[in-house]
Amino acid sequence: MKRYLVLFAALAALWTAPALFTPALAALQVDVTQGNAQPLPIAIPDFVGDPQLGANVAGVVRADLERSGLFRPLDPRGFAERITNINAVPNFGSWRAVTAQGLVTGQVTQQPDGRLRVDFRLWDVYGQSQMLGLQFFTTPENWRRIAHMVSDAIYERITGEKGYFDTRIVFISESGPALKRVKRLAIMDEDGANPIFLTRGDYMVLTPRFNPTAQMIAYMSYIGNKPRVYLFDIETGKQEMLGNFPNMTFSPRFSPDGNQVALTLETGGNSDIYIMDLRSRAMRRLTSDPAIDTAPSWSPDGRQISFESDRGGSQQIYVMNVDGSGQRRISFGQGANGTPVWSPRGDLLAFTRRTGNVFSIGVMRTDGSGERLITSGGRDEGPTWAPNGRVLMYSRALAGGGGSQIWSVDVTGRNERRVLTPGSASDPAWSPLIQ
Amino acid sequence: MRRIAPTTARGPRYGVVASTLFHGMIFAAALFTFHRNFDTPDDSHVVPVDLVTIADVTNVAAQAPPVPEPEQMDAPPPALEPPPEPQMQEVEPAPEAPVPDFKIAKEKPVEKPQPTRKEMAQDFNALLNKLTAPEKPVKTAKPGSRIIQGVGTGNLMTADLADALKSQIYRCWSPPTGAPDARDLIVDYDLGLNPDGTVGGLQPTPATAAQAAGNGYTRAAAEAARRAIYQCQPYRLPPERYNVWRQVNPLRFDPRQMMGQ
Repeated sequence: MKRYLVLFAALAALWTAPALFTPALAALQVDVTQGNAQPLPIAIPDFVGDPQLGANVAGVVRADLERSGLFRPLDPRGFAERITNINAVPNFGSWRAVTAQGLVTGQVTQQPDGRLRVDFRLWDVYGQSQMLGLQFFTTPENWRRIAHMVSDAIYERITGEKGYFDTRIVFISESGPALKRVKRLAIMDEDGANPIFLTRGDYMVLTPRFNPTAQMIAYMSYIGNKPRVYLFDIETGKQEMLGNFPNMTFSPRFSPDGNQVALTLETGGNSDIYIMDLRSRAMRRLTSDPAIDTAPSWSPDGRQISFESDRGGSQQIYVMNVDGSGQRRISFGQGANGTPVWSPRGDLLAFTRRTGNVFSIGVMRTDGSGERLITSGGRDEGPTWAPNGRVLMYSRALAGGGGSQIWSVDVTGRNERRVLTPGSASDPAWSPLIQ
Repeated sequence: MRRIAPTTARGPRYGVVASTLFHGMIFAAALFTFHRNFDTPDDSHVVPVDLVTIADVTNVAAQAPPVPEPEQMDAPPPALEPPPEPQMQEVEPAPEAPVPDFKIAKEKPVEKPQPTRKEMAQDFNALLNKLTAPEKPVKTAKPGSRIIQGVGTGNLMTADLADALKSQIYRCWSPPTGAPDARDLIVDYDLGLNPDGTVGGLQPTPATAAQAAGNGYTRAAAEAARRAIYQCQPYRLPPERYNVWRQVNPLRFDPRQMMGQ
């Protein structure tokens, strides 16, 4: 009996011991709430295989990621390890030594059938593991687009957000003296490469907007001295007037499904917002206020439209349902607020704020709260969103009527920088990701 | 007593033939199923090729069809004169980098958008130390501005250690801040430290691992935190209290203050 008691006591001791000692062994708890926002140092050596194309593709990827402000591509001249085989595990120590936290290795080869094959791997230098490996095939002329797709994939893998490098910008190219300026519709890649004129410059053009497939552009042109909305088919180069109205139409914007265009129609001195169905060409009126209602922009779900109106005495931002009901003012900040543009992510509206002679780009939540200005130029207007809702482009007028430039800025207000265009440029519109 | 005739008595050859056929089939099936296992790797240093072929056909439009020159539009009023050649000389010089020049595309002025953008099939390496996810993903980490809580070591006696660790990690932590919902970016780690302050073991808590598996923002946040932990090691902490800081759990990264949320 005594033996059993001893055994029982021993078992009980074993059972309770952890409970007695656990507090002393409990883990330390730490909350890190402040960080040090820095672009990610990333090493992108020239891709192996075809030496010329390998250098070109890597160069475009480096430039894309650097431009985003979220990456810091390291100078390849400092790399200790020379990548020769992208299927071999890199020597992570040598990449840590050059302060790289990410490493991209890639290869460009010509296939027997003439196509180009691009493979790449993204490595986590500290985690010593592959984060991503992808392969593309394309025609050799398309190497720039493949480079942008590589950049998009890396951006998405590291940030958790979709990239925006494989996109295009349509804009108004301006040339000639200030009093006789020629404005032409133009298009270029997101990085400013391949700029092309789409119109001749015989007529002034304004406010180009992409449709959701990036194949069609709606814009306003002064053909016949009457400002009206036209459609431009990028594939065929064909133009057509969107409805033949006696009065002017302007400020077009495609619906998210691409089947409708919201625009402003002026009748008898009163501007109101309408929706035109592109198949039936039927017009539906949304506003009927005697004030100027214009600059419609769709929410990504297609259920609401934001617009600007001076019905309250000054130009402010309003939101309504897509049937015109529920019109309500959401901007109450200082000065005048206009050109609201709904973020593709749906969470924010970008807008232009005018206070006196100062024009700035701002963002606010779709209920008008959380308003903040994000540009510093003082002559900034006409925002357009990157398809991921993270970056904006806009026009910046130069002092003294010296033309204008296109600039971009992160939605946080960081990384404000000029988008290089040939000559003066304004009115940018960012395409969706190319399909 | 009647003897039941043995089956072989009917014709042993059938059995042999059937058996041979049957075994042959098994062998063939095995060959077919396991033939990959017979391939020997060329080089043990080569990682398994896990590149994903997105599409066997070209991902981009094979060839943009000839498109009419952009200047020749079916504009309602016909254009009267040929377009002026764009001149670089007219434009102001770019301040910091070479400015691209327009080109008038002759044959393929506009790249034909691809018919479809194939979903990029991606084969990601097992993330976050291949932790198995609990059955029910935890939607968000518990919010709150708790610094130190609980019993045992989570008290004032250890607040200085927590601060010491925080002050050494934060320099290396550059969280992604673009998520619409900042709560998606809160991640917890279980960190084991060696006596010399280097990382001995590191894994996300099961809740963070589960959330990261289904949320790209959380995954990016978890990886940014992991980079920070590795980058800033070794950590300088009082060696005589190693038993207190040998295990840090949870080591939470919460960027909401940085994002103003």
